[in-house]
Order: sequence, then C-alpha cells, then structure tokens
Amino acid sequence: MTAILIALIILFPWFGAVIIWLMKDEQEKLTHILAMSFSAFSAVLSLVLLTRIGQDQISAYSLGIGMGDLAFSADALGIILTCIANCIGCLAVVFSKDYMNGEKDLQRYYSMILLFIGAMSGLVLTSNAMLIFFFWEITALCSYQLISFYNDDPKAVRGGLKALFITQFGGIGLLLGSLLIFSQTGSLDIQHFIAAAQAGEISSAALAVAGFGLIAAAAAKSSQFPFFTWLPDAMEAPTPVSALIHAATMVNAGVYLLCRFAPAFQGVAGWNTTVLWVGIITILLSSVMAIFANDLKRVLAYSTVSQLGFLFAAIGAGSVTASQFHLLSHAIFKALLFLCAGAVIHSVGTRDMRLMGNLYKKMKPVAICFIIGACSLAGIPIFNGFWSKELILEAIHSGAPLSVYILMLFAVILTAIYSIRCVWMVFFGKEKSELHVHEPGRFMKYSLYVLAAGTVVSWLTFGGFSNAFSKSLPHHEIEAESLGKFLSTIIKDPLTYLAIFMVILGIVLWIFHKPGPSKAVLPKVLETCAVNSFGFEIINEKIIDKIQNLSEFSRELQSGILNWNIFGVLTGLVLILIVLGIGG
Amino acid sequence: MQNNLILWLLFTPMISSVVVYVVGRFLAPNDTEKPNKTVWLCVAGIAATFVPFILSSINILNGKSVTTTIGDITLVFDGISMLVSLTVLILGLAVILFSVDYMAAEHSEEKFYGLLMILITSIIGLSTSTDLFNIYIWFELMAVSTYSLVAFYRNRATSLEAGIKYLTQSAAGSIFIILGIAMIFGTTGKISMQDIPALIASSKRIMIAAGACFITGYGIKCAFVPMHFWLPDAHSQAPSGVSAMLSGIVIETGLIALLRSLSALNPAAASFGIIFLLIGALNMLIGNLGALRQSEVKRMFAFSSISHMGYIALGIGFFLTFQESTASADGVFFHIFNHAMMKGLAFLAAGAIVFNLKQAKGDHSPLMVKDLDGISQKYPWYALLLSIAVLALGGLPPLAGFISKWQIFAGGALSKNPWAMFLIVFAGINSVLSLGYYAPLVNRMYRHQPSQTVLAGISKCSATMLASLILLGIFVVLLGLFPMLISNYTGSASSALLNMFR
Repeated sequence: MTAILIALIILFPWFGAVIIWLMKDEQEKLTHILAMSFSAFSAVLSLVLLTRIGQDQISAYSLGIGMGDLAFSADALGIILTCIANCIGCLAVVFSKDYMNGEKDLQRYYSMILLFIGAMSGLVLTSNAMLIFFFWEITALCSYQLISFYNDDPKAVRGGLKALFITQFGGIGLLLGSLLIFSQTGSLDIQHFIAAAQAGEISSAALAVAGFGLIAAAAAKSSQFPFFTWLPDAMEAPTPVSALIHAATMVNAGVYLLCRFAPAFQGVAGWNTTVLWVGIITILLSSVMAIFANDLKRVLAYSTVSQLGFLFAAIGAGSVTASQFHLLSHAIFKALLFLCAGAVIHSVGTRDMRLMGNLYKKMKPVAICFIIGACSLAGIPIFNGFWSKELILEAIHSGAPLSVYILMLFAVILTAIYSIRCVWMVFFGKEKSELHVHEPGRFMKYSLYVLAAGTVVSWLTFGGFSNAFSKSLPHHEIEAESLGKFLSTIIKDPLTYLAIFMVILGIVLWIFHKPGPSKAVLPKVLETCAVNSFGFEIINEKIIDKIQNLSEFSRELQSGILNWNIFGVLTGLVLILIVLGIGG
Repeated sequence: MQNNLILWLLFTPMISSVVVYVVGRFLAPNDTEKPNKTVWLCVAGIAATFVPFILSSINILNGKSVTTTIGDITLVFDGISMLVSLTVLILGLAVILFSVDYMAAEHSEEKFYGLLMILITSIIGLSTSTDLFNIYIWFELMAVSTYSLVAFYRNRATSLEAGIKYLTQSAAGSIFIILGIAMIFGTTGKISMQDIPALIASSKRIMIAAGACFITGYGIKCAFVPMHFWLPDAHSQAPSGVSAMLSGIVIETGLIALLRSLSALNPAAASFGIIFLLIGALNMLIGNLGALRQSEVKRMFAFSSISHMGYIALGIGFFLTFQESTASADGVFFHIFNHAMMKGLAFLAAGAIVFNLKQAKGDHSPLMVKDLDGISQKYPWYALLLSIAVLALGGLPPLAGFISKWQIFAGGALSKNPWAMFLIVFAGINSVLSLGYYAPLVNRMYRHQPSQTVLAGISKCSATMLASLILLGIFVVLLGLFPMLISNYTGSASSALLNMFR
C-alpha cells in the first residue's frame, strides 16, 4: 500500500506533465483545469501518505551496476516534506489559474511545475543516495526552466542560468558525497550508511569529505553563504513559482539533506559548527540586504534566505526537530507572503515598493493575509512562525555558545525591522502614484485564505509532528514531546519574553526612524555593501569573465591550419611516449 | 545459418550497399525534388541486418560464443561487438530515415546510401575482428567511406577543405597504426591478439613504442586531445546525417579498435590506464571550452563530442588503472550507446531545423545559435527533441546522459583512490560548464518572439525526419528512467573487456 502510494505520488504528477504538454494553445481553459486536477489529486495522495509514517523501507528492483536499488523510506522527514510540496504545489497551481490567465505557453509552465512536484516528492522519499542526486538535479532543471519562463526577457534568462549553475556547482558536493558513500559501504542505501558511520566503520577522512561535500551542496541549493546570490535573481520567475519552488519547497532540499544525514556526521570534527556558522552568517547578511531592498519580491527572497539560515543554525545546534518544525511554518507563511505579493503585483503592475503605498484600503483581503504572514515572519505570538522560531532559539541557547545566541537575538530585531518596513511601504503610508488597482481573482483568494488559516493554526500539529519524528527516525534519537508540554516550556521560559521584547524593539526602532526608511537605524556603509550583495556579485562576475577568457584562448588554438594540426599529433605522440616510458 | 551468423551479419549490409547503389543509379529521378526510392531498399537492408544480429545476441546473452573461422581469419562476436552493432544499427536506421527528405534535393543520393551501408558494415566488421591486421583493414574501410561522406557536398569549398584535412590527418594516423603493427609482428611473428601477450615479456620497450603508436594513430580517429583538431571541421561540414554517424559511433569505434589492439600488449605496460585518465581530463576541458563561445550549432555539438570522448576515456582509464573499477566499463559502454542516441538526436534535430529554415530554400549557410530564437512557436516537436538532446548531453536527469556518467563515476569511486575522486570532481565541474552552452540553447528555443529566420522557414515538417528524431528521443528518455533495460548489453560488453585485459 505504502509502495503504491509512493509510486503514484511521484509518477502521477509526471504523467500529468506529459498530458498537459500535449495540450493545444487554444485549450487554455482545459489546461488550467487539468493542472488543477492533477495537482489536487497528488495533494490528496500526499495527505493519505501522512497516515503511513513509519519505519518502512520499500525496495523494488536493482537499477543496475553501481546504481543501487529503487528504494524509498516512509519516515516523517520525507513524508512531511512531500505533503508540503504537494499541498503548496496545489495551492500555487490554483493561484496560477488567475495569475497566469491569458499567458502564452501555459503547457510548458504547468508541465514544469508538475514535473517539479513529482521530483521533489521523489527527492525526499528515496533512500538511495544516487536517486537523491537524480531527483535533486531534476528539481534544479525545473527551477531553471521556470525562472526563465519569460525567455524573451534577458534578465529572466540570466536569473535562470545563474540559479542552474550555482546549484549545479554545489551539486558536485552531493555527487562526491554519494559516491563516497558508495565506495566506502559498497551500497547506496542511506540507512545502511548512517549505521556504518555511527559504528565507526568508515574511514574518518572519507566521512569528513562526504560531510563537507554535502554542506556545500546544501548551501548552494538552499541559497546560503557563500552561494546566496542566486535566489534574489530567481525572482524573475512567475510569482506562484517563487512561492512554490523558491520559498516553500526546493530551497528546503538542502536543509532536508543535512537533516537526513546529520546523524552520520556527528563524529566529524567541525561539521556541526560549520553548519551553524553558515546559517548565522547568512541570516545576518541577508537580513541587512532585506532592509535595504526596494523590490517587493526581492525583500521576500532575502527574508527566505535568512529564514533558511535559521534552519541551518538549528541543525548546527543539533536540533533536527526545531529545524523541520520551522521549515513547516516557514513553507506555509512564506508561500502566503509570496502569493499575496503576487496578488499585489498582479493588481498594481509593478514590483517596486516605492511606487506602492496605502493599498490596504484598496485590497483589504490580500492586505490582511499579508499582515498575518508578516507577523508570523517577524515572530509575533500565536502565529506559527513565533512558536517554531522560539523552538530554534531554545535549541541554539542550549546547543551553541552564548555569543551565537546573542547574534540570533540581533537577527530577530532585523527580521522585525524588514517585516514591518515591507508591510508599511506596501499597504500603509502615503499613496505614491496613481496606480490602477484591480480586484484579485477568485482562485487567488481561495489559495490565500487556505494558507492564512494554515499560518494561524499549523503550530497545533506539534505533538503529532514530534511523535512522528521520534517514531520513524531511529538514527536521529529524537524524543517525542506533547503539544501541551511544548507550549508550557515556551510560555514559562523567560527567554521567550526576551525574544518578544527584541521583536517589539525592532518595530519601535523602525517606527521612530520611518521618515528616512531604515537609513538611520543602520550605518550608511552597510547600505552600500548590502545593495552590492556584499561583493559576492562581483566574485560571480569575475569567475564568468575568467572562464570566457579561457574559452576564447582555447579557440585560438583551433587555428584550422593543417601544419598546426599535425604538430598536435606529434606532440601527442611525444607526451604518450614520455608517460609510458616513466610508467613502464 | 547458425554457424555462419557473423558472415550473415557482415554480408547483409555489404550486399545491400551494392544493391542500393546500383538500383539507385537506375532509379535516379529526373525530378530532383523527390527522394530516390532506393532509400527504402537501404531501410530494408538495415532491417535484414537486424535478423542475424538478434540471433547472435540471443546466443551471447545465453552465454554461448559466436565464432566463425575462414582460413586464418577468426571472427568473434562478443559482448563488445553486440553493443557496437546494436548502436550502429539503431543510429544507422535513424540516419537513413532522416536523410530521405534531407538528401532528396542532392545529386547522386544513391552514393550517399551506398557509402552509409559500407560504413555500417565496416563498423560491425571491426568490432568482430580478433587480429591486428583485420582490425586495420576494417578501420581503413571505415575511414575511406567517411572521407567521401564528409566531403559529400563536393561543390562547396568548406566541405572539401574539411574532407582534405580529415583525410590528411587520418592518413597520418594510419601510418602510426601500421608502424605499431609492424613492430609487434616483427618481434613476435604473430598478429592474433590472443597469441601475442605470451611472446612479448622480453621485449618490453618495443611494445611500449608500439602501444604509443596505437594510441596516437587510433587516437586521431577518437579525437583525443591534442590530436583532435580535425574534428570540429569535419563533423560540422558533413551532411547532418553523417555528422550524427561520425560523432555518434565512428569516433567510438576508433576507441574499440584501440582497446582491442592494446589488449595484445597488456602485460607490457601498466600505465596505459594513466594515459587514458590524462586524455580524459584534457578532452573534457578542451571540448567544453571550445564549445562555450561557439555561435554555430553543429560546431558546438562537434566540440561537445570531444568532451564526451573525455568521459568515455576517463571511464576506460578507471577500468585499466584500478582493479576494483569494473563498473566503469559498464558505464563506458552505456555512455557509448547513450552518446550515439543523444548526439545523433542533437545533430539530426539541428539538421531538421536547418533544413526547414534554410536548406529547403537553397540557402546553404550553417545553422547559427541565434537562428534558434523562438523556434518552439513554429516547430514545437523539433524544439522539444533538440532540448531533450542537449539537456541529456549536459547530464541532466531524467535523461540518459546522467545515468551513464554516474555509472562511470561510480566505478571510479570504487577504487577509493583520492586521485580518482579528484578526477570525478573535475568531470563534475566540466558537466556544469557544459550546461553553459547547452542551457542557453533551450532558453532561445522557448522564446515567444521567433527570429526572422524562423518566421521565414517553411512550415511543413517531414514525417520521416520526425520519425527518426522520435526513435532516438525515445531511447534518450527511456534509458534515463529505466537504465536496467540495457544492462544486459552493457554487462556483456564489460565482461568481454574484462576478458581482454585481466
């Protein structure tokens, strides 16, 4: 039963992708309906799969020499992410019904989204290290295709290619890691590898290389330091895609990877610390960039990067549960924020926040949803972001040095500042221009309401969440905790009130300096740095330049002169003789 | 028939080549717009060749051997021959179907089909040879047929130039091969690969020299860096169908010939493997750098063939250098098959596009990257299939190229050698680099605003062209999702290689 469900969850959206690709341009309505039905059915399947969480290992047949088995595991780590991918995927598709209405090439759009949803489910459900890499690369392919969906726009193409190269480059870390797993254990089974690593059967050098390889892959995929530059440029994608891929699901794949493998690398010196500091540095850099950005989607992108930093920090501090619980909250509230932003952008026709203002009166439902999302992002009590962020802060307080905790509190202030700034600039303040606002569509609103409701109540699932984790992940040694106990720990903890104070401090700081938005709060130098991505853009460009120069140089070698070609042959002969001479 | 399966396998395409040519001469249509009907005889020839091929394969897969002896010559159909024949027959069928309309307007098409059948015969023949001399004969037959195919547009200067360059360098390569054979024959008095290893223990230096001659000579055909300079010209100037054959199977056949020849020398030098590793790394890098800034589509694919030979050479290097890396050999043969399908598809799709955009209107300028802008609006199938081909070549799943690269790497990783891991990472970086020229092609094809060239192209797509593309496309997608479909074939080829070297 579980096996059939898993097979359906991966293959059904892919089947849908093929069907939709074959639609004609004129069948626009049918295309929308098909996409909605396929994604809705997958979402239902994923919810059914929730009931099957356990320690089941499903292994079908061997894929071939060096490729392991077609194997999946039905544990909480995978299934919860599958649900997120399928349910938010479904909402994003429903939202697209209005958002993408009348666009060209809808078939390609929906096919790629469905291909992505299936691949994301496969990525988190499989227990074969090669298949992780396999699905990992498919998600990268879909992400790149969807970012550059508007191929006529050079910025979109550039953003898509950048995302592809950076995530693929990091992906080499995963390639290296999974190949080391294969060479050291003779199998690609992840559970087998974790058990072997914990038993100390793997050489420590190989384990360390694999561990840091996976960190590189995860950092690239989850847009962390030093690879964080691709996510803001990925905002050229249609907004539902940003909500689904670049906020709720694909960017979490890196976090997932680290959570999955964390128990194996506990013995590697510096592994946890590296993950922790990658997270912290990312949070600080991206929060500052979010404060100075003026493009609505870019602000949200930076905030995604910084929230993913929280997830990394939690793993580094040793709490997989905290990381995963915040991942769930973040997926919901960030998808909500992005879809609201999509509704706003669709209505007013610009992404520049400086041109917005006072939209609250004109689009109340969207504004309220956005404010709910922003409150959750800032960590204001009772919304899901508050509870899960407290969980992370608690984990860091107990599992990391005090200095890190203080930095995290500082990050909480920054988060509050950019959240309130964003809400204020878009929905309140003075009207900046005569923007013609039209009402968001019916389907848009449905998706928003579902996500807003999720943001308010999703933390109530904590008991079942932690129970599922402790029951289905033997290697992670997670203790189950009931919702009541969790709530009482947080409410009784004085540090909670310190964190809430920091949020209020952030808001107050911003309100007092509102006239010159945020400028007085942080020094001018910081603004210059932040606007220039702290110099990482320049590094990217330098690398591209170098490669292109090298390529031009290699073209000069290809002179086409026959004598030169024969000279090449003779050089080859001499070199071969030398190597053989030394070797023999 | 059972005893002479190999002869049937060789004679069927050989006889068809003559029949196709002669019948084609008589049928030569007055109306040059219509295809010469002899092409269907050619298709029938390929179909007929499948019969002895399938019968021989059944024997091999059941663990029996298929051998024929004529006088002193012994021909053996083993796992490697099986894989090579399978590849060349499928690719050949696709190329012929593709050429029905593509070559219709050309003069003397019947020569084209005749030569193509000789090429197919020579490749199958080469893969079954067991002695140095026979390999050389088949190899030269293959070379002669390709010279004429590369320079098929004999009225065009660029095409002739490419043909002459190809001829000169291949001839230089042949001299090295003959020299190598002479050294071995002079020392041992034998040419059969099975007899030689026992006789060369005392003459190691000569054998090393012979090995170097083989690697250089055959290496020219395999486009090993720095002997690769001829390839971008030859592969981009030939008719698209021929480019597909050249990149898809001819350079790989050169590698098979090289491996067979080196197997005779195996005890003499253990460092053959290191050469393959070095060449592999160089080929990947030079091929990718060459392709990165190309503005001509077929030339880009030609450079990409150089880099794919790099992956194949890397796998062979792993196999020869490290005892544990037998899985690399599986990967190599898998990649040879996949590369034939992917690169065949890429060249044929580019050919179909250039045919519709330019050739059918009498414009013989090459297909430029910028001509592809917005092609999906007018030719959705061509755009999709070319996208599949280039993404597969770039190693993206769920397409075939990903799986075979992985298998090569997995074999290398089993050695647990740090240098092997380093080379794998280097190969991975090269794969990412290669996306630097493949991915933008896809972006161009899916623009909404078609280029002027696309708007001016003829709308009608040829059914046979599309059929040939779909045939190859199916393999590229299916093998990416179900790699075990071909594991029997790659497994037999890999164990045949193991027999040759261990």
